Amino acid sequence: MKNREPVVLSVLLLTAIVSSAGAIEPVQFGRDVLPILSSTCFSCHGPDEHDRKGKLRLDLEADAKKEHENGVPIVPGHPGKSSVIERLLTKDSDEVMPPPKAHKEVKKEQVETLRRWILEGAAWGRHWSFEPIRKPTGDIDLLVRGTLEKKGLGLRSVAEPHVLVRRLALDLVGVPPTPEQAAAFALEPSSAAYERLVDELLGSSQFGEHWARMWLDLARYADTKGYEKDLERTIWPWRDWVVNALNADMPLDRFTEEQLAGDLLPNPSDSQLIATAFHRNTMTNEEGGIDREEFRQLAVKDRVDTTVQVWMGLTMGCAKCHTHKYDPISQTEYYSFYALFNQTEDANLGSDEPLLFRPTPEQQLQLDAQKTEIDEILKRLDEARKNDPSAVKGNNLDPADSPEIGKLKRELNEKREAQKTLRSKVFSVPVMRELSETKKRDTKIHRRGNFLELGDPVSPGFPVAFHALPEGAPMNRIGVAKWLMSRENPLTARVWANRVWARLFGVGIVETEEDFGALGSAPSNPQLLDWLAASYRDGGWSLKKLIRTIVLSHTYRQDSTLTSALLEADPRNVLSSRGARFRLSAEVIRDQALSVSGLLSGKIGGPSVMPPQPGGLWRSAYSTRTWNDAEDEDRYRRGLYTYLKRTTPYPSFTTFDAGSGEVCQIRRIRTNTPLQALITLNDPVFMEAAAALAKRMVSEADGQGARVERGLRLALIRPLVSGEERPLVRLQADMQSVFEGQPQRVELLLKGTRAVVPEGVSKAEFAAWITTANAILNLDEFLTRN
Amino acid sequence: MNNISIQLQQTRAITRRHFFQTGGLGFGAMALQSIRAAESGAQHGAVVGARAPMIAPKAKRVIYLHMAGSPSQLELFDYKPELERLHMQDAPASFLEGKRFAFIKGVPKILAGQFGFRQHGQSGQWISELLPNFARIVDKTAVMRTVHTEQFNHAPAQLFAQTGTPRLGNPSIGSWVTYGLGSVNENLPGFVVLLSGGKTPDAGKSLWGSGFLPSVYQGVQCRTSGDPVLYLGDPAGMERSTRRRVLDTIAEMNEAEHLRSGDPETITRIAQYELAYRMQMSVPEVMDLSKEPQHILDLYGAKPGYVSKGKGSDDPRADYRGDDPTFANNCLLARRLVESGVRFVQLYDWGWDHHGSSLGESIDETLPIKCQTTDRAIAGLITDLEQRGLLDETLIVWGGEFGRTPMMQNNVRSELKKGYIGRDHHPYAFTMWMAGGGIKGGVAYGQTDEFGYYPVENPVNIRDVQATLLNQVGLDPYRFRVPYQGLDNRLIGPTNEARVLKDLLV
Repeated sequence: MKNREPVVLSVLLLTAIVSSAGAIEPVQFGRDVLPILSSTCFSCHGPDEHDRKGKLRLDLEADAKKEHENGVPIVPGHPGKSSVIERLLTKDSDEVMPPPKAHKEVKKEQVETLRRWILEGAAWGRHWSFEPIRKPTGDIDLLVRGTLEKKGLGLRSVAEPHVLVRRLALDLVGVPPTPEQAAAFALEPSSAAYERLVDELLGSSQFGEHWARMWLDLARYADTKGYEKDLERTIWPWRDWVVNALNADMPLDRFTEEQLAGDLLPNPSDSQLIATAFHRNTMTNEEGGIDREEFRQLAVKDRVDTTVQVWMGLTMGCAKCHTHKYDPISQTEYYSFYALFNQTEDANLGSDEPLLFRPTPEQQLQLDAQKTEIDEILKRLDEARKNDPSAVKGNNLDPADSPEIGKLKRELNEKREAQKTLRSKVFSVPVMRELSETKKRDTKIHRRGNFLELGDPVSPGFPVAFHALPEGAPMNRIGVAKWLMSRENPLTARVWANRVWARLFGVGIVETEEDFGALGSAPSNPQLLDWLAASYRDGGWSLKKLIRTIVLSHTYRQDSTLTSALLEADPRNVLSSRGARFRLSAEVIRDQALSVSGLLSGKIGGPSVMPPQPGGLWRSAYSTRTWNDAEDEDRYRRGLYTYLKRTTPYPSFTTFDAGSGEVCQIRRIRTNTPLQALITLNDPVFMEAAAALAKRMVSEADGQGARVERGLRLALIRPLVSGEERPLVRLQADMQSVFEGQPQRVELLLKGTRAVVPEGVSKAEFAAWITTANAILNLDEFLTRN
Repeated sequence: MNNISIQLQQTRAITRRHFFQTGGLGFGAMALQSIRAAESGAQHGAVVGARAPMIAPKAKRVIYLHMAGSPSQLELFDYKPELERLHMQDAPASFLEGKRFAFIKGVPKILAGQFGFRQHGQSGQWISELLPNFARIVDKTAVMRTVHTEQFNHAPAQLFAQTGTPRLGNPSIGSWVTYGLGSVNENLPGFVVLLSGGKTPDAGKSLWGSGFLPSVYQGVQCRTSGDPVLYLGDPAGMERSTRRRVLDTIAEMNEAEHLRSGDPETITRIAQYELAYRMQMSVPEVMDLSKEPQHILDLYGAKPGYVSKGKGSDDPRADYRGDDPTFANNCLLARRLVESGVRFVQLYDWGWDHHGSSLGESIDETLPIKCQTTDRAIAGLITDLEQRGLLDETLIVWGGEFGRTPMMQNNVRSELKKGYIGRDHHPYAFTMWMAGGGIKGGVAYGQTDEFGYYPVENPVNIRDVQATLLNQVGLDPYRFRVPYQGLDNRLIGPTNEARVLKDLLV
């Protein structure tokens, strides 16, 4: 042991973390040490009592620094006396940590980091995200510049005005500006004009439609109930609620409270009740032979997990089965928190009850009449049975029924069927409703997460390692909302600010948006994150204000072109060393193509719609609902309104990384695949958009070059570089001569793309314009926000 | 075109590296190392884009045959004379205490195996008369009769078998494998899914979803009617030469864009458009069975160009037809796909849920039809792979999501009635088998009790099958993990209970 020390010290000097200036930076517990301890040691020496080995906890300072059977794990200032280091380095396979059967590896550099931290005094701390938010002075640009300067970089100049307007519009409302809007700004690109543009976009109703998508992913929204049968559910009114709430800039605390507990507010409005459908987006299993209680509890667990994921950026899911191995959430605490959600009426029913049921006055009259008729038949059935003591019990038809009883039963069935049909047409949304006091459930721990293996009872409560429930807040879902939005909670503000940043910059300050816990990635710029979080919280939780602040920064407005030096220094732009450049999302790719071609419907809200998709996809065994390609305006609605069947989601969207709505999707990991090319090249939606764009090119300009230029301007917004249009001009000319000899192909193309040939051009010429537009709608720059 | 392809070749290595670095999951280090290995492999012209496995692989590819709905092991593989002795007697209390069933109510009757068994092969294993072709190749397989699972409803049990968790949101085995190993054919997807039986399996597309892995690793469903891959076909009127011309123009414009923006992502996009173009040729080619000689078609019972004549009635089970070659076609396609370098081919055959509660879903009438449509094809697949020298490096897995009860299902009928004899879901013991890819042939692994109710020797958790599968393709099931949402996620789950079934390995 002793004679190893000098050797290791020299290694230390070689591998120490060296800052750019060449000086050795002290090891930081939260940033450098905790991640190593978490991923290497905590699964056996952490919060989980069940799996704990050697009665040792390395997640608690006191325990880690006191005498244990095999010595003191961590002796501040003395790595050589610390058993942690000894056990990590030993060659003895019985002694070495982590044990081989744990299949975990520790890198030499990691051991060195631990050693140096101990040498420097082994100062303890908390995981960074649990520490209170401290708002630094300055602003976004100052804080970004601070980290850039350490790398020898600085902020870049502002992007070209047309590019900036397109970027801003795509980010704020999810559709591009018109070239004319961009040109107007480019004439006088002042700060005041930019601000006006920002406010105009934030005030547009398309803002809510675009930003709702982020929330719908998190809320695992879909138009069906999931699992095997995956039947339809009417929950789009909640989706419209989200759009409205975002457009009205509902503060996050109210947005939270209404969705988690709108039903518990005093005299809740219908809107507040619809808000609670947020947690009715959980799946319902109608498979035969299931235990309904099992799936009710799975839905409740989903609510718990989703809530903690979405607001706190933590995974509580692991604590269902065992105490969390990395973050401070015990299994008992999980079920205490679960108990708060475990008191609602919903019970995995096919009817999705409880429902907010709102018949029109006319429907109400009909429903009343039907009820009277049914009651009448039931009364007559009763009487008929009294006269016939041998009659079969129950109201189901039976061959043994007398003719009179059989007739009544048939009548009853008919009326009930009619009642069912009418009820299905009434506006209704699944909502949350608390059980009455007498029906409240007792919650017990589910051992190993199994709802049949019940353990000790728990009372409702919040995990103790976090902040306390604000004073006066009730111990129910209202309390959950208040707890999440408490000023004492540093996580909600950080998680949300990071999420918004990630949507605008393509990558979060904390890249693992889904994990702010011990295993998540560290913030690339912690001060910036805290600045944003504090601004959001102190700015009345206004999402629009937060977005406004960010997009007004110089950081956001930077030019996005790359140089090899930038690629080297900040390959993934996590430091915001330039304007962000990334492929647009599934829905925006659709909406943009429809928008520039003039096809996009401006209709807001209402039931989900079915744009064309290939036949034969919906082949699940049970649903009678079929996919019928919309022929009217609904064919060209925004992607937000596309019907989402969980087991068979719309293929053009999943190929561009959209989810299925089955579970909470925190972020979409962007991919770049050949299947995406097939969609924008061949999907009828994009071909019809090409035909419509071709029509605009031909009608809105004269002459080949001008028409191509018009198409490119509509798509890319910016003015063209000299000669840029030439390849497309050549394409059009070549294709025209090809098509002129092949009238049948022309007819097929025109018919398949629903083309309307403008006056003054031949069919062959127009077909060539369609292929040209098809090329424009597939340009990398068009699919990219830059 | 030429200048583009030269530039593409030059930049391919860079962009691929870039792609994996920007995958966003922090798996850069591992991916990068393996890409370097693949790049050096590429110099030999053998492997393109594949990544180095973590341990020595026995299998290079996998064909997984999943019988959705779960076949009865008691009619196919697990011969239990004791059930005949107790036929139609009340099930003993020990069968029922503390148990949950999907449909069985009260005290059900014991149901004898409905079909005859004989011993086959050198290994002398008892195999049902419903599987005459499998009986011939039994010595090439390792049959596990003691597999058990934690789930007894279809969707969660299918998810458990295919993604390692009964809940949604985790990557499927095929995604794990293609993520770990990469693809060996740039013109084809690495993970292909083929469906038969007329319907999508109960748990839907999530069964081949990529979960928290990038969506590039999700299974690509190839269809035998319509476009084999969605949107693969050019729009009407747009011929291949037109498409080529359009793509050249796009590439030219994108290159100019790349010069302005400097974004390597643009180069990747150019490459992906080229790949899409090649897939438009290569996928229909590999999916075209008409090029197969008649004796190979006969070996499987395949019929090129067959389109299911199912009426799509409310109860699709009524559509079962013994002469439906869709599954056989899919088996032959699976061979063609793996031969072309596809890493993982997943077949789902719907319609094995034989409860006997309504017509067209019984053990006595429907199961023989299902066996008729699959038995010859499966034996054909193994024979064909072997004669091409591919069996040694192709792992075949066969199974359902659980098994079926030794008791007759009684919720609709408690008397024996032709066409209505069925068994309920049984998670405690069922049969799966593996073949090829370093699996020993002629192995009978594990034994159940005299009723086929519980394992009594060598129980196999379905996680063991998953661990063994990963092990065979060279991915260490314990170390192969991806951090996501605060967990080190692995196919085999958070605990180290899963075992590689060493007794089955060559």
